[in-house]
Amino acid sequence: MDYQLIDTLLDLATKAGFTQAEAYYTQGESFNVSVLDGEIEDYRVESQQGLSLRGLIDGKMGYASTEAVDEEDLDELVAAAKENAALIQSPDQTPLHDGKDEIEQVKKENKIARLSAKEKIELALEMERLAKAADPRVLRMEGCELGTQVSRRIIQNTLGLRRESSGALGFAAAMPIIKNGEDMLSGMYFEAFDDFSKLDIKRVAEKAVEDGVAYIGASSMPSGSMPVVLRNDVMATLLRVFSGVFSAEATDKGLSLLKGREGERIAAACVTLWDDPFCEQAYSGSSFDGEGVATHKKAVVENGSFRTLLYNLKYAKKAGIASTGNASRPSYASTVGIAPSNFYLAPGQCSREALFERAKNGVMITDLMGMHAGANPVSGDFSLAAKGFLIQEGKIVRPVEQITVAGNFYALLQGVQAVADDLWFTLPGASSFGSASVLVEGLSIAGK
Amino acid sequence: MLNNHLAEEVLGRALSTGGDFAEIFMEDTTSQGIVVLGSNVENASTSRMRGVGIRVYKGFSSVYAYTNDLSRGGLLRCASDAAAAVGEGGAAVDVRLNRSVAANIHPYALLPVDVDGKRKVEALLAMDQAARSVSPEIVQVSASYSGKWQQVQILNSEGLNVSDQRVYVRVRVQAVAANGSENQTGTESPGALKGHEFVDSLDLEQLGKSAGRCAVTMLHADNCPAGQMPVVIDGGFGGVIFHEACGHALEATSVAKGNSVFCGKLGQPIAAKCVSAMDDGTMANEWGSLNIDDEGIPTQRKLLIENGVLKSYMIDRLNARRMSMPSTGSGRRQDYSFAPTSRMTNTFICEGTDDEEEMLRTMGDGLYAKTMGGGSVNPVTGEFNFAVNEAYLVKDGKIDRPVRGATLIGKGSQILWDIDRVGRHMTMAQGMCGSLSGSVPTNVGQPRIRVSRITVGGR
Repeated sequence: MDYQLIDTLLDLATKAGFTQAEAYYTQGESFNVSVLDGEIEDYRVESQQGLSLRGLIDGKMGYASTEAVDEEDLDELVAAAKENAALIQSPDQTPLHDGKDEIEQVKKENKIARLSAKEKIELALEMERLAKAADPRVLRMEGCELGTQVSRRIIQNTLGLRRESSGALGFAAAMPIIKNGEDMLSGMYFEAFDDFSKLDIKRVAEKAVEDGVAYIGASSMPSGSMPVVLRNDVMATLLRVFSGVFSAEATDKGLSLLKGREGERIAAACVTLWDDPFCEQAYSGSSFDGEGVATHKKAVVENGSFRTLLYNLKYAKKAGIASTGNASRPSYASTVGIAPSNFYLAPGQCSREALFERAKNGVMITDLMGMHAGANPVSGDFSLAAKGFLIQEGKIVRPVEQITVAGNFYALLQGVQAVADDLWFTLPGASSFGSASVLVEGLSIAGK
Repeated sequence: MLNNHLAEEVLGRALSTGGDFAEIFMEDTTSQGIVVLGSNVENASTSRMRGVGIRVYKGFSSVYAYTNDLSRGGLLRCASDAAAAVGEGGAAVDVRLNRSVAANIHPYALLPVDVDGKRKVEALLAMDQAARSVSPEIVQVSASYSGKWQQVQILNSEGLNVSDQRVYVRVRVQAVAANGSENQTGTESPGALKGHEFVDSLDLEQLGKSAGRCAVTMLHADNCPAGQMPVVIDGGFGGVIFHEACGHALEATSVAKGNSVFCGKLGQPIAAKCVSAMDDGTMANEWGSLNIDDEGIPTQRKLLIENGVLKSYMIDRLNARRMSMPSTGSGRRQDYSFAPTSRMTNTFICEGTDDEEEMLRTMGDGLYAKTMGGGSVNPVTGEFNFAVNEAYLVKDGKIDRPVRGATLIGKGSQILWDIDRVGRHMTMAQGMCGSLSGSVPTNVGQPRIRVSRITVGGR
């Protein structure tokens, strides 16, 4: 794609009557290989680009996007955006950004490109060999995958904004199937990285097998309310599902219970939640957001106190404050929303084992299933299938399956008793979510 | 659409390094989304996807490459990328294509893109108003419209060159009831493989009211108690229990690699005798239906389970090879950026002979699950879960009071044996099913059923 095309698009939009217009272009290439029994099972090479236009006519914002990024398709794009603008009734103004703020430039070298396809395939095969060698009960792999992706985006508008960024990322995932007698168990572990020197496939393979083997002999447990340790990955997943409650759009629309509660104590004193686009352990940040606004690190909750919602330009204007740089556009086709960058619960001082000792008798949850259905971001309620480990007298005694854990996210934040030192992040997407393991009270376990 | 000459050249290139089957999936899709929030149109957007995915098999290995550079150079580069993963060197292979168009058994009258946006907005506002009319406790309503027109062309080295188009329309209404300290929601989201006439045929007022009523009921509900108990699950979205507990484990994706609890069980009983189940991609205009699957094979009506005995799996082209069984027309993908694999279409428990009232009356103490949310499953272990959006406690065979936050969990191999009643009237509901090949429209369905014992998660 040449820059000329974006200039042409914005010219066409202006001629069609848009008073302000903005182009957003994304382009990506990715590579994925998955192996099974020493052979390539699946191999994918992908290249995709998309161009979107949004603009204001009579103060109303219309959107249209296309993957047919050719000059002859631009008229159609402008016409569709214009038609959509005419439908808008929302009284809220949606401003565009003039790009006059300073952005923190982070120069990142692409360290993903240096391995060839062949070398990446060899790594995946080696990872499978290592997983099978790790334990005789590994039957085969349900998945053993290595992937890399590079991406680029450009945002440009008629107010003079023009910003561009690029990124490169890799991931390795192993999912062994463990056979113990008649029982089949599945394990899983993955790591994301921005440099192949950070990837240790032996660690990924062995941790995946450990994860599966740990549940051998698991059974249910009695129902009840008890101290619960949410392992770091589980707490990070809950933060992902409920992070929307910190969006100014959600409070404005009555979809979050945090409206007007800045300054209030909404979590236990040991809870601090950061949104940090420049966090080195996570990979979803950028120096500018989906509207081109400069991003920065901020505490959303600090020592239990609610500091700020996350804003894009539209809701910042409505509140009479500056955008927090959290405009999100997960794909070129998305309308502008609000989302965190790298969002995480700050680690504490103690070890995970210290949480077990403090819990004394309870359960550690290590896996949650059915998040898309059993967790309701509007009410904060969740009731989810889970796996984990029984804690007795401060020690892990046995694996547990076929249980559910239920609670409410708002109450969960208040119920955190202690935070461990083991910060960990989920696989990066448009946002990344991280947490350390936490000890909480007030959750209900359903089992036998 | 790709012309034969270019397509033959691309397929020939894809096979140049020793592959034994190559396929092109081309798609041009226009979608429109409109969101009404706070009784105002908040967002309206149109997007067009246009790209090509090229697949090459060599034995049981599969390679997939996709691009949206549809120039000759772009397509040949994509074919070369795929070929390079299969082997080295080699000359292009001669491929000859025969053009056809899939017979359309899902007629539509009005393409969503041809219908005035104002008409769509009116429909959304009608649901919004109906939901708000239920109670002053309804503090927010979101209503959305999505229309999609997908044109596909599938060509392969066996000579297939078939085109099809799929027209989808769906509306969704979510009501939020609040009392200051708590929010609860209720949702309705009907959809069909049909044009805008589907929206015209809906009772929008009833949909809005139903969402509103559910939200208000749940606002005044206690938490669901936890433990094991008998559960009566209503028809419609209740069918998600079969979808999760069994359907996914009958997909060749799991079966071919030996990862499903139902491997090697064809012809054997895997469920209680009262259970028969079907996957039927041919039902006219249903949300999960297709004329042809995303590998160009006509969809089928397949009996999966007959009186408890396993009769068929759902099989795509690649896994058909691995399993030495024919494809069942089950190869599906979200769009050209995904390689297809075996997926469900309209999957349901067939009508039985039991009385819908009797099964409640004789259940003793338990749970009546009226409307379901979604769920998920681990096909390796068979552990499934699904959420109940609207549930009622049953005491001594009578509905006692609404409860919220119920989740049902179990293992697929066990739960099918614990179904002890299957009612007489099957209904279906629409969902989006996520798996390896992305998110695809599927229907779930069943008559009202009873499960004698299941773990209910609550507080």
